[in-house]
Amino acid sequence: MLRFLHSSDLHLGKAFGGYPEAIRNRLREARHGAIARLAQAARDGGADTVLLAGDTFDAETPAPDTLRHALRAMAAQTDIRWIMLPGNHDSLAATELWRRILSEDLPNLRIVTDDTAFALNDHAMLLPAPCTQRRPGRDLTAAMSAPTPEGCLRIGLGHGAITDFSAEEGVPGIIPPDRARLSGLDYLALGDWHGRMQVGAETWYCGSPEADGFKHDMAAGALLVTLDGGAQVDVVETGTLQWRRLLLDLLPGDDPVARLDAELPAAHLRRDLLLRLQATGRLPLADRSRLEAKAEAIGPDFGWFDHDFGQLATDTRPDDLDQIDHAGALRQAAETLLAEAHDTALSLSEREVSGNALSRLYTLALQVQA
Amino acid sequence: MKIRAIELTNVRRFAGQTARIDDIGDGVTVLSEPNEFGKSTFFDAMHALFFERHRGAKAAVKALQPHSGGAPEVAVEIDLPDGRFRIEKRWLSRATARVLRDGRLIAQDDEAEAWIGAMLGGGLAGPSGLLWVRQGLLGLEPEGNSASDKNERERGLGARRDLLSSVAGEIDMMTGGRRLDAVVARVNDALSRLATTTGKPRTGGEWHRAEADAEALRQQEGDLATKAARLSADLARRAEVQRDLRELDDPQAEDQRRQALEQARQAQAQAAAHAEKLAEAQRALKLAAMTTDNTAAQILRLQDLSERVARAQADLARAGDDAARHETRAEELSQADTAAAAILAGAQAESRAVAERMARSQRAQLAQAARRQAEHLGRSLDRAEELRRTLEADRAARGLLVVTPRLLAGAEQARDRHEQLTAQMAAANVTLSLRYDGTLRVRDGATDLPEGAHVVTEARDFDLPGIGRMRIQPGTGAGGDLQAVDAAARDLADRLAACGAETLSEARRKLTEAQRLDQAVQGAERMLAELAPDGLDALRQAHAKAQADAGADAAPPEDHATLEAEMAAATRAETAACDAATQAHAAFLAASEARAAARSTLRSANRTAEAALAEAGDLATLAASLQRLRDDLATHQARQAEAQAHCRTLAEAAPDQGMADAQFKRMQSVVTQAQDRRAALREELATLNGSIGTMAEQGIEEQLDEVRGRLTAAQSRAARYDTEVKALFRLRSALEDARRSARETYFGPVMKELEPLLAVLHAGASVQIDDQTLLPVALTRDGQAEPLDILSGGTREQIAILTRLAFARLFARAGTAVPVILDDALVHSDDDRIEAMFNALHHVARDQQIIVLTCRQRAFAALGGDRARAVITAT
Repeated sequence: MLRFLHSSDLHLGKAFGGYPEAIRNRLREARHGAIARLAQAARDGGADTVLLAGDTFDAETPAPDTLRHALRAMAAQTDIRWIMLPGNHDSLAATELWRRILSEDLPNLRIVTDDTAFALNDHAMLLPAPCTQRRPGRDLTAAMSAPTPEGCLRIGLGHGAITDFSAEEGVPGIIPPDRARLSGLDYLALGDWHGRMQVGAETWYCGSPEADGFKHDMAAGALLVTLDGGAQVDVVETGTLQWRRLLLDLLPGDDPVARLDAELPAAHLRRDLLLRLQATGRLPLADRSRLEAKAEAIGPDFGWFDHDFGQLATDTRPDDLDQIDHAGALRQAAETLLAEAHDTALSLSEREVSGNALSRLYTLALQVQA
Repeated sequence: MKIRAIELTNVRRFAGQTARIDDIGDGVTVLSEPNEFGKSTFFDAMHALFFERHRGAKAAVKALQPHSGGAPEVAVEIDLPDGRFRIEKRWLSRATARVLRDGRLIAQDDEAEAWIGAMLGGGLAGPSGLLWVRQGLLGLEPEGNSASDKNERERGLGARRDLLSSVAGEIDMMTGGRRLDAVVARVNDALSRLATTTGKPRTGGEWHRAEADAEALRQQEGDLATKAARLSADLARRAEVQRDLRELDDPQAEDQRRQALEQARQAQAQAAAHAEKLAEAQRALKLAAMTTDNTAAQILRLQDLSERVARAQADLARAGDDAARHETRAEELSQADTAAAAILAGAQAESRAVAERMARSQRAQLAQAARRQAEHLGRSLDRAEELRRTLEADRAARGLLVVTPRLLAGAEQARDRHEQLTAQMAAANVTLSLRYDGTLRVRDGATDLPEGAHVVTEARDFDLPGIGRMRIQPGTGAGGDLQAVDAAARDLADRLAACGAETLSEARRKLTEAQRLDQAVQGAERMLAELAPDGLDALRQAHAKAQADAGADAAPPEDHATLEAEMAAATRAETAACDAATQAHAAFLAASEARAAARSTLRSANRTAEAALAEAGDLATLAASLQRLRDDLATHQARQAEAQAHCRTLAEAAPDQGMADAQFKRMQSVVTQAQDRRAALREELATLNGSIGTMAEQGIEEQLDEVRGRLTAAQSRAARYDTEVKALFRLRSALEDARRSARETYFGPVMKELEPLLAVLHAGASVQIDDQTLLPVALTRDGQAEPLDILSGGTREQIAILTRLAFARLFARAGTAVPVILDDALVHSDDDRIEAMFNALHHVARDQQIIVLTCRQRAFAALGGDRARAVITAT
């Protein structure tokens, strides 16, 4: 029986430059904290080995403090053995990175610098396929067919996309999905896909232990793998910050504020949530205005919040214009803007400008009335 | 709506009374009562009835209460399209409101208020608020500082504010008014925080900050991307360098390079030794060839010498024969040349003799001509010399005569004057005439009187020596200007002196002589010019030359024709002799030259023959030497052929020296380059390690990733601001367009109604409407715009009323006829204007009920219209 923790894609040092400084620091800190949480997860699951299936670091030359802090954190987990595989972000071509890591000579960290199989223990062999380049252009996992002593468990450790896994912009992968069968592996631990995914009975992507985007709408974590006459895989959640996309498809008659309230977590849980609200469909001007006001109001609750109402059409009714004014110049201006917003003779951008102007007029007219 | 009756009960001065006005007409109705009658009370009461709720207790309501207290009541009877109605209100105590139709109650209290509000259609902001003109509106403000003046000013200000607010309220209703202003203000506020007037990001604004952030991040991103690219390139380069170093440090490759170098060195040495042998053989071949060539050359030289001796001897014999023949021929031609020369000399002498004779004959002819010329010139010269002498004498004589006709005339005039004065003096005075016969003299004091006449102009005493004294008394008529006579005498003497004469007759004679001399000089000058046109000296020279020419040969000349014939014959003979002599001499010269050439050829042949023989020596020995050399030549040629064969054999077997050298050099460079490249790569590796280490320490990729993310966020933020600004600009533009359109819609009809009314002020007058206040701000007359503020109070008042009338006509045209009520309006208008305003009121009153309350009974008598009277009864 062999038990270990399968993780990958820590992307330590990822900058998150597109986010405000406060959440950016929290995001970076959460990634660093994943090291200790992985060690604890392994410890809690009865494992003493953590396989890191590539992309531990986000860059080939991470900042010195990023590298130093990571190595110190790993070294601090003295009862845990870390086996680190170069991925595409931190491939073997990143010679300076690996030179610096090797120069630290941590006793509980093993760097896989070639595809030579080595023993995890007396009856289990690890068959690694480190990335030689960012885009090696060949199936590195072919090396996993190397022979191992009779009776040993064969665990593959690789990084990259699988052949029929083409979700990433149609880029063809190069790892055969049946690599475990082809190479007689008892388990194939893969990295590169930041969401958790099972490819076959013995082949898994564990996903990133700390989410880093809105792409994978699931709790981040690692896999506790037990090999004992078969592979038993248990998910262990390790993430601290949640990333969530909230899509509201709205139609006239919907109460957008109520719909939004129903989807939102309790206020005290919002600080650790990064929320991207996207509204589609169409709404009357008044409801849209209420939704915008609501979005503005709840934004500060979250660790990070953004809303996109660009796909939400405004369904303007006479009642809406009445709230601007029943007659007179304000009403005339509103009607002009409304006509422009629906005038197909105008360009899309001109229509959008007029629509936005009408929306602003509605809000301002109500404010002035109040 | 038309008001037909007004009834006030217990209102202000009508405490305990009911004041009622009945029979108010359709057009203009005038209530003309003196001050303090209570006209404004009617106005305020009606205003309260229509616009103050019955439960209200505001100041306007309390103001209706009389001092004695009690509840004020107001009732109005009005005609509407569906009948006559009575509206009643009571305030403060048992307040109530009622609407009755034909005496039947149809609405009470709140329902009555709702009925009134619906009828008015908008309360104070509606048409009535616009059309009712309170007392004192636009009145001139009193300038005093008394409490009453101040109160009056305050009331006037309040009235104007009411006007402004009512008009503004009406316009608000149509243009969006203050709400639109507030929206525009917020749009402008938002835009002013974000953008400039031209739509660019405003410095210091959020948009500008986002753009600046994006720009700064773009630059950072560029810098970091460059560094990251350099780091990546350095890493790749370091891998290449390390691989190359590994290859260079491989021992097996090093041994291969050394062995190849040794082999190349040996091949190069072998090639050099063979090349040396070949060079030796080539030197032997060259020597053999030289020996052969020398022998052949000696043979050729001896053969040539033998041939030259024979040829020189033959040439010498031929030259001797030619020289003898040319000697003979030259001697013969010399003799013929001498004979021809003698004949030529004789002919030439004959020609010279004839020519001499011709020359002498010509000189004799010229001397004869010169003598004739000398004689002629001598005569002319004699005559000219004579003329010259006469001319010089005349000129000298003429120079002494200074008198001119003008001077003579002056002298004659002076003489006439003197004689005239003298005659006058003589006639007026005593003339003492003296002629002495002895030595005694009459003395005038110490002076002797000369002989002659002496004019005595006054009593004078003269001494008669030896006799005594003589007094001459001219008498009482004596006198005259003796000084003038003296002056005339001096003038005469001066003028005669100027003429060079002492008397007039002498002066006349000298003038005649001078004129004669002038004519003589002129005549002599003309004659002299004829005789000697070029001057007397030229004539003298010509005469001297003619005399010299005439002094030549005095022999007589020969016959010219004879001399000509003799000369032609002599010339022909000389020409023939000359031709013959020339030909003979030329033949002699040719023969002499041929002889000289033959002599020279002979000398040359002789020298050549002597030299050849000297060089050849003994001819037999020469032949023997030639034969021996021919034998040696065959031997040398055989040796040369052997040496040439040996060279060819060596050359064919020689290795490629150049190739061996090149290979050795190449292998040397391979070894050297390997050493140099190893050193260079190690140096580059050290540099790369340093550079990579430095950049890796900076975490370039992390920084780049962060900056790219921040750049995207900043660009997104800037784009959102851009969208916001575009929307705000579009909104502002739409609002301004709408407001402009609303104003045009609003003011178009107003101006259309107002302009005919303004004609009462000035033909063609118009008003300008302010965009912001929406009120008249200027009056334009004759193209001259005048701000309303500077116009007189009367004109301002008239404009205000005419504007309201224009609004009233608009409402009437729209089917909403409401009464216009003027409470003591037109107080500032002069008589002419007030008449015009009355016309305007009647013009509007065709469609509109107008109620005029006034205290100016006489002034408003001309208004006409219906007259209303208030009937007051006790309650």
